[in-house]
Amino acid sequence: MTHSHIVSSFDEDLNRLRTKIVTMANLVAKQFSDAEKALVSKDLKLAKIVRENDKQVDQLEQEIEKSSIELIAMRSPMADDLREIISAIKISNALERIGDYAKNLSKRVIVLNETNKFDANYAVLSQMVNLINIMNKDVIDAYVNKSAEKAISVWTRDIVVDNLYDTLFREMLTYMMENPELITPATHLLFVAKNIERAGDHLTNIAELIYYIVEGIPLELNRPKGDKSSEVNTEDLD
Amino acid sequence: MVENMNMQSSKNEIGGQQKAITPKMRARKVNVYYGENHALKDINLDINPNEVTALIGPSGCGKSTFLRSLNRMNDIIDICRVEGTITLDGEDINNKSIDVVQLRARIGMVFQKPNPFPKSIYDNIAYGPRIHGIANNKHELDEIVHSSLKKAGLWNEVHDRLDASGTSLSGGQQQRLCIARTIAIEPEVILMDEPCSALDPIATAVIEELIDELKNRYAIVIVTHSMQQAARISQKTAFFHLGKLMEHGDTATIFTNPTHQKTRDYITGRYG
Repeated sequence: MTHSHIVSSFDEDLNRLRTKIVTMANLVAKQFSDAEKALVSKDLKLAKIVRENDKQVDQLEQEIEKSSIELIAMRSPMADDLREIISAIKISNALERIGDYAKNLSKRVIVLNETNKFDANYAVLSQMVNLINIMNKDVIDAYVNKSAEKAISVWTRDIVVDNLYDTLFREMLTYMMENPELITPATHLLFVAKNIERAGDHLTNIAELIYYIVEGIPLELNRPKGDKSSEVNTEDLD
Repeated sequence: MVENMNMQSSKNEIGGQQKAITPKMRARKVNVYYGENHALKDINLDINPNEVTALIGPSGCGKSTFLRSLNRMNDIIDICRVEGTITLDGEDINNKSIDVVQLRARIGMVFQKPNPFPKSIYDNIAYGPRIHGIANNKHELDEIVHSSLKKAGLWNEVHDRLDASGTSLSGGQQQRLCIARTIAIEPEVILMDEPCSALDPIATAVIEELIDELKNRYAIVIVTHSMQQAARISQKTAFFHLGKLMEHGDTATIFTNPTHQKTRDYITGRYG
């Protein structure tokens, strides 16, 4: 279906760009699982590594932007080539944000380590990170294989992350109501959960971009959303 | 999403409102044969007023043949046969009663290589109005020469040497002279066959700017090998392949999201 460009170096440039996106996505996934590990095992050393590695994520974003701009200037891309290159810039922006969330998670390891009063159940957080990384893997799979179908499947799956976030939100509120001393750690954990939930949103954005690359039109379905935390009132909690 | 307007009556976006437009020219089931060679197959295409329609496609796809059919330039080729209907304001241009000279005055043509007459700049412009009896006196003729050169963006460069030979001008100036010569006889449609292919990028930009202005007065059809040029200057793009019109629609849609694989392969520079 996809023919090669007559100018083969154009294909080589595009492939280099794709490789960078895949590399960046894999790095961001690793950052996320490392941040989660650091959080659960209170591993300050690993948390520091995550923070430092964020520079590599930023660096990749810059490289992808630079390559994309050069491709536009030098190859005058059209149709799906153009869509792919513009989307590469946007995908790298989204991945960079996800990388920032991983960094944010690792930052909170320090303060959560200091507040030993709270032996939180990290299972839900770990589950969320795990889901995020599966979505990340699948969205990149959709990207590499130019599959609109796979992109939609990632896009619709974000509701599971949203629902977990919602559960965690209620749980933390309950802890805080029962024991005001837990307000500090619980609030930090809420931010951690919110960051993970936001990572899911960015992954759905990437899925939308992949759909656009493949189909040439925006994905205009209504995405199911599960984050109802904005509506939660403490009076409603049991 | 902007829909491709294949074969539909065209619409133009004016102030966010969609307004139906009556095409200036209409081609229906046009087939052209050069002897045994079936060069154009069942072409249906509308040319709208005040728009630039770009015809693109690989060499030998029929785009120039189609352009030449629009003002019966194919008449001069003995073995050429045209079937189907092409209308100008609803009137069949291939009708026996049509005066071809008058038709070509209404549908002017600018060629790939600038071809000024070996005459003065003034006479290059004045030639058409003279033979068509458009000017009644010297003063009116002067006025036509002046306004045509102005409209073609050449006046400032040549006003002090109207007696100089047209061939003494640079390539870009010569091409603008040819455009001025075309518009001197007040055409309604201007056909352009790769008008910039012999010009440098600056001269090309000047012509493109001119085409953009001219579309306010005329319907323009341009054959170009430069996809970037088609994207820059046209509102509608028609992609020809092996004598067929593969796809026709809004230029922005054709270049960002073409419908046919062949169009996509061509505009992205891939093997078909």
